[in-house]
Amino acid sequence: MKVKTPHRIAGLAVASCLALTACMSSGSDTDSGEDGTGPIKIGISLPLTGDFSEPGKGVQRGYEAWAEYINENGGLLGRDVELTILDDQSNADRVAADYEKLINSDGVDLVFGPFSTRLVVPAAQVAQDYGFLFVEPAGAAEEVFTQGFDNLFYAAPAVADDHYNYLADAIEALPEDERPKTAAYAAMDDPFAMGTAYGLKTRLEEMGVETVVDEVYPPNTTDFGSIAAKVADSNADVVVGGTQYQDAVNMIVALQQLNYQPKMAAFSTAPTNPEFPEAIGDKTEGILSPTGYTPEADFPTNQEFVDFYTELNGTPPAEDEANAWTTGQVVAAAVEAVECASPDPECQGQLIDWLRENEVDTVVGPLTWDAEGRPQGAHLIQQYVDGKIRIVLPEEAAEADFIVEKPQW
Amino acid sequence: MSLFVQSLVLGVLLGGLYALLAAGLTLYFGVMRVVMIAHSAFLILAAYLAWWFTNETGLDPLLSLVLTVPLFFGMGVVMQRSLISRLRPATLTMMSVLLTFSIALVIEGTLGFVFSGTQRRIRLDYGGSSIEIAGANVAVVKLIAFGLAVVSLAALFLIMKKTQFGQALRATIQHPEAARLIGINTERVAGYGFGLGLATAAIGGTALALDSTFYPSLHWHWIGPLMAIIVVGGLGSIPGAAIAAMVLGMGQALLQIPLGTTWAQTFFYIALFATLMVRPQGFFGGRLAQRF
Repeated sequence: MKVKTPHRIAGLAVASCLALTACMSSGSDTDSGEDGTGPIKIGISLPLTGDFSEPGKGVQRGYEAWAEYINENGGLLGRDVELTILDDQSNADRVAADYEKLINSDGVDLVFGPFSTRLVVPAAQVAQDYGFLFVEPAGAAEEVFTQGFDNLFYAAPAVADDHYNYLADAIEALPEDERPKTAAYAAMDDPFAMGTAYGLKTRLEEMGVETVVDEVYPPNTTDFGSIAAKVADSNADVVVGGTQYQDAVNMIVALQQLNYQPKMAAFSTAPTNPEFPEAIGDKTEGILSPTGYTPEADFPTNQEFVDFYTELNGTPPAEDEANAWTTGQVVAAAVEAVECASPDPECQGQLIDWLRENEVDTVVGPLTWDAEGRPQGAHLIQQYVDGKIRIVLPEEAAEADFIVEKPQW
Repeated sequence: MSLFVQSLVLGVLLGGLYALLAAGLTLYFGVMRVVMIAHSAFLILAAYLAWWFTNETGLDPLLSLVLTVPLFFGMGVVMQRSLISRLRPATLTMMSVLLTFSIALVIEGTLGFVFSGTQRRIRLDYGGSSIEIAGANVAVVKLIAFGLAVVSLAALFLIMKKTQFGQALRATIQHPEAARLIGINTERVAGYGFGLGLATAAIGGTALALDSTFYPSLHWHWIGPLMAIIVVGGLGSIPGAAIAAMVLGMGQALLQIPLGTTWAQTFFYIALFATLMVRPQGFFGGRLAQRF
């Protein structure tokens, strides 16, 4: 007898539901644990929908690539890793509930962090309550590190306030009469974006660079003409944008429309985006931006990561993917060193203690942390040189010479 | 002083753009008491179509209007006849919020699906250029957007005042029963009125796309200020919306100087609350809005 297609599909659906429930119910008790059999289960919640869905998906790609790489190369402690990724809809209440569920009812062995400061803080709190190690790929703002977490590590080279350190060093190294005299700051009301701009502001003010404009705008700002008018009117030598993406693009165009020509222009995040030169056209020359990652970097494991990732996804990894991979590398290093991966507080405590004491080699460079989990590095500074974004600072990593005086845009 | 002049010029240009973006919104309410939450989603849709048109053909985005204006007019007529006219008159205003909210979500989701969530911008050779007038820099793209606003609002005004369709539309706005009694097919007129409103969204979205980066969920940032404009101007009044847009746009640009961006933006909502407390029917809506 021939079974009709709809019936077969229905049958298949029922069968797969049963199989799925079977897997789910077996999750919390039997197949993982200290006896070292079965896969190591890693619980993650990510903003796959809502405000942060774009970067959230980037982090997801990074995590999944890392898991696949580990499993193809003999696993962790000889066991496969298995990711459980939930969608927190970019919602801070949801993310806490997700980690509760992952730790309590799904019985995961390890957790990885979500994307962005706003979600990292509530998630880290849950992990802290259960004594879990919490390595996170994207909570760079200062408020992440002032909550008293002793289980948190940020898997990137630097916190937001330190992003511009190499640029500040380079300006400080200039002869005093060649340094800029005045600076204008415009930052989005967002802990990360503001952190980057104000980190540089603090350094420049210490050098005696006068702040002539200091504007903060809400994330939903649609008109940048008026902010640009203020900056242009001040005719500051340096303009610093604590920006994400669309605000930077709109502000730069608005500044160009007002025919304002700064000697130095630095914007966070946007210039490293591949869309940026497409949006701004040929007027990018000399624009500066800090970056936590570039596929060209020659850190030991980076080439392997770029090749593996590119083969898997067809495009080279960007910063979000790299930070996710770095998170995996950091946790894996601790797990391999203390030879345990279980929800048991003693094991988690050992993992945390090990990371406090040791340096980990990652695709974004060697990382160490202070007691609050701040990484102790700085971001590379990139600049548009001959129409391409290149690393210009620090000198030992530079791909092109730093253009001190920005050409007209 | 120069900052003041510059901000004033920017404020006028911004006010013109606001007026264009809000014109359709007040028209829908005037014609059929519909609160059209999806208006700003249609603006973003038009922006995407202009971007796509320019990418595919290499022509100026303004030329996309030849296609998008009739397209949006048609969509408006179809939407009114097939969806909005089916809502029960007694609960029309409230239910239209729900209905158009869902339409906004559908548009946002579709845009995200087709064009991805990546932020887009139309790259124009004249995007960064400006001309100097009385010591103030006037961006060419902002001037074009302002010109589009003036032309469309003038056209809208002429249609409403000088054509037979406009008279029928105004009659439908003022008193639907009486309009029906004198032989106006109010249903058809309402459909065309809705189409007209959506046609302004095609122009507004293109104007917006000339000088701004857009992404599928951007419309949520626009609907609030636009709603504030039409309430302050008086629901249903197109000149009212235009004047309110101008006042609020200029106010925002000028308040920016002493107060900064965050407070300058709250000006819209302070104006909204003040209007609702002092003159709930809006400053130009008068008789019409009082009935609701």
